Amino acid sequence: MKKKRNISKAQQILSEADASLLDLVDHVLNKGVFIEGEVLLGLADVDLVYLRLSALLCAVDRLAKT
Amino acid sequence: MSLYLYALVGRPVRRPLGRGLRGEPLRLIEASGLLVVAGRVADTPRVTRATLRRHDATVRRLAGRTDAVLPVRFGTVLDDRAALTRTLAPRASALREALALVAGHEQMTLRVYGKAATTSDESATEPSDGAGQRYLSRRLRARLAPEVDPLRLALRGLVSAERIERHERPPLLASVYHLVRRGDSKRYLATVAAASALLTGVRVTPSGPWPAYAFAPDAA
Repeated sequence: MKKKRNISKAQQILSEADASLLDLVDHVLNKGVFIEGEVLLGLADVDLVYLRLSALLCAVDRLAKT
Repeated sequence: MSLYLYALVGRPVRRPLGRGLRGEPLRLIEASGLLVVAGRVADTPRVTRATLRRHDATVRRLAGRTDAVLPVRFGTVLDDRAALTRTLAPRASALREALALVAGHEQMTLRVYGKAATTSDESATEPSDGAGQRYLSRRLRARLAPEVDPLRLALRGLVSAERIERHERPPLLASVYHLVRRGDSKRYLATVAAASALLTGVRVTPSGPWPAYAFAPDAA
């Protein structure tokens, strides 16, 4: 159920309701030089932010693979 | 206290560097022949809209201090300089190449919105025998975002490098990241506005200029 709500919010962002948030999350959280040392901590926080801010497809994909 | 990393930067770097997302003074650290801007923090910052904005603001400010800025992903914390050196050493060459690529440039981003559609397969009759890797790379990019080919063509003279991600999560179909020379962002946006009329069935939303987030060696 929780996952369903999350997808729904993500769809809102993808519908351009909050394009600036999409850009911010994609660039700052999903791009940039990737240093492996912090992956696990980073992903734990990202998981939280995706529930809270209902952000982004690419990182959701990345989370789904872990 | 640990090191929170913001960006790799080219030389020279003008000071002061300012402060980071927690208000901590930024420092320049040399590691594996690379210059890294970092701050000392007690723990990993939580991901919030505010901390993401402050990270981005810090990286943008650094772009005003030097010609080349390669942002580090949010939340990157290492114990100390020794850990930083160990982490960067195996990738120093690729990171130097990326810094050279982004020098004097900034990033523009296009989000491509529309209904899901099968990506068009470029004709197999097009000759590929003498063009090598560059040709194949062009073909791959075109398949990733065929809907915006007219726009990409119009932007050709402004774009130094390009990365494309196909999302297939309608309405967002693809993201196109372009590296343009610093100062060219207004021309880029004007070109997008004019050439968007050439597109059918999709909408394109541009943003930028951004620091070159999508042009880290492993960002795509």
